[in-house]
Amino acid sequence: MRRVAVTGIGVVSPLGNDAAALLANASAGRSAVRRMDAPWCRRLACPLGASADFRATEHFEPAKLRMLDPVSQFALVAARQAISDARLGPADLDPPRTGVFIGTSMGGSVSTDEGYRTLYEAQSDRIRPFSILTGMTHAPAAWISIEFAVTGPNLTYSTACSSSTVAIGEAWLRLRSGDLDVAIAGGAEAPLSFGAMKAWEALHTLACEDPADASASCKPFAANRSGMVLGEGAAIVLLEDWERASARGANIYGELTGYGVSADIGHITRPSVAGQAAAMRAALQSAGCGPESIGAINAHGTGTPINDAVETAAIKQVFGARAYRIPISATKAMHGHLLGASGALALVLCLLSMRQGVLLPTMHLQQPAADCDLDYVANRARHDVFVDSMLSSSFAFGGTHAVLVARAAPESAASGPAATASGRGTAA
Amino acid sequence: MTTLERLTAILMDHYKLDAAVFGSDTPLEQLGIDSLGMVELLFFIEDEFKLQLPSDAPLLPTLADAVRYIDALQAQQPATTALPGDLSAPPAHRSA
Repeated sequence: MRRVAVTGIGVVSPLGNDAAALLANASAGRSAVRRMDAPWCRRLACPLGASADFRATEHFEPAKLRMLDPVSQFALVAARQAISDARLGPADLDPPRTGVFIGTSMGGSVSTDEGYRTLYEAQSDRIRPFSILTGMTHAPAAWISIEFAVTGPNLTYSTACSSSTVAIGEAWLRLRSGDLDVAIAGGAEAPLSFGAMKAWEALHTLACEDPADASASCKPFAANRSGMVLGEGAAIVLLEDWERASARGANIYGELTGYGVSADIGHITRPSVAGQAAAMRAALQSAGCGPESIGAINAHGTGTPINDAVETAAIKQVFGARAYRIPISATKAMHGHLLGASGALALVLCLLSMRQGVLLPTMHLQQPAADCDLDYVANRARHDVFVDSMLSSSFAFGGTHAVLVARAAPESAASGPAATASGRGTAA
Repeated sequence: MTTLERLTAILMDHYKLDAAVFGSDTPLEQLGIDSLGMVELLFFIEDEFKLQLPSDAPLLPTLADAVRYIDALQAQQPATTALPGDLSAPPAHRSA
């Protein structure tokens, strides 16, 4: 089996539109959650969202833009960044040996929402000519393959909140087996439309606004948590065969070492401890390592009452007594829940934080819930803590739970002031 | 405005094309308007001229062809009422 390196990162996110800004804001505990002010927000019970500071016209010509839902805009810009970051030119990509693997939960929901509005509210018998193109779920992946002229597998995964974790994991499997040399993998989501937000509101999963500070409304693992806040954006990683990446002197962010996925069959929305634990165990098994190898976790940590309690119990089931000594970060408190893109963003944060030697904070955690009693790195980042491997968990409605294992690039683990002789950090 | 001037304005407004680089006989495909782009151009024509084009509307290789087609259609079909909303803009972002 071949090793798989991450050699490029691209992000469009509520916490910034490049890796450096994302890490700086996340390390500082800045929240991008805010009360949104679009006219339709008045009809939401709680108009909270985490939007990206993104101006599409800076990236696309008008004729192209009319064919792109925001979800494809985000994906394309993040993919451009990732490929540029990897310092790969068109001649460096062997088209049939390069694949595109994208996860998205809601696809072109902004366009779909507008189409419904045109037909049903405006009572028009005409709809935008490109409604199919903008709305189709696999448009982001399609545009990426077209723009970079890559002809390998072009695949879209839609498994709700684990979509991009699955996309990256499936890409990893193909690189690992030698079927591909390079993959452009990640996720994108644009759920901040009236129809999408109303649908989430109807499910009673969204957070209530914190009366003192709207930006603190998402409170993973806290006793007073009330739900999640939707966010938008994209995160794309450039996966590359390790030998190839090393040979060309690529900047390696880290290694993807494991991927596990499980089906949680008990309920369509309520996760089970066994289901989440199964995905974590599967990821560890595929990485060929035990729980003791994991130095930190980027939790799914949505801030919903059910997930956070179940996830805490699942971590305990997998890690035993050591669960209490593993730092766990729930960064959705800051960037919101990017649904299908959230897993890719979490993986990017794992890679960047391992490289930087920082454990990212779980913000707005003043009083942990009684059944959430692990180390969540509450409210303040920890610096100069270098860990060797992290787990990145994504748990989903529908029960497709997926977990990735990422290992720091050798130089970052070895260069960290707190690194041990084994290269494993002091955090756990 | 003549039909040609109104079509020229569509290309300038929606495709950001410089009127100096095309004429009535310039192949539209050469301006980046391929068969898929033609679907959209027909949509813009419907908006501009308040026409309802048949579902089997022909491909129009040049603006001159479009002028002939529109003028003939207008002679047969009264203009429809204005359509609600601006459907020619890109999908609106949540806070745009």
